[in-house]
Amino acid sequence: MNGYALVVATDEFEKITAASIIGSIAAASDIPVDVFVTMNGLRPFEHEVVETRDFTTGPLGEAMLTSEETEVPLFTEQFRDAREMGPMNLYACTMAMEMWGRELDDYVDIFDGELGVSGFLTKASDKQVIFV
Amino acid sequence: MSEQLTADVTIDARGAGCPGPLMDLIGKVKTADSGTVFELQTSDRGSVSDVPEWVEKAGHELVETVEHEDYWSIYVQKA
Repeated sequence: MNGYALVVATDEFEKITAASIIGSIAAASDIPVDVFVTMNGLRPFEHEVVETRDFTTGPLGEAMLTSEETEVPLFTEQFRDAREMGPMNLYACTMAMEMWGRELDDYVDIFDGELGVSGFLTKASDKQVIFV
Repeated sequence: MSEQLTADVTIDARGAGCPGPLMDLIGKVKTADSGTVFELQTSDRGSVSDVPEWVEKAGHELVETVEHEDYWSIYVQKA
């Protein structure tokens, strides 16, 4: 097994958080992880959205964001930590960025670059793909 | 028996939810010498099963898990 390719296409806070947790533990355990953020999944990574916590959440997401008893790292922090601990790379989808009218600088500084679908398929060719 | 356990490194991850405690442990284990014993203090119930899973897969040794009133101490020795 040569690692995981995580496709994050959702803007749901809980799903992105789950992806960040699974990917982070894998990368911290030295399992290669490539994360491809596309479609609505890019919006929660925008600076303003992160700063205002304007996420699309359900009840559990609300609890995670407001819990005073349990400290739950934000998915952006989780990805950032994982990139420092292991072989994880994050890529933003070029097509979705264009549709959103965004540049890479509009997103939190955790992306290694942007990719098109061919680039992602190349990176995912030897990995197990997980679609979120 | 549990009172006799001593750790070289104590990681206080109490109050942190999944995967915080495990990430803290992995980070410390990576940079430690072989044979180092860690005490991971966690109030996250999931860590009680999750940390041993990782320890076994990573090839380290789970020494013991001690339950306290409101947290657990998971002792791990680096291979």
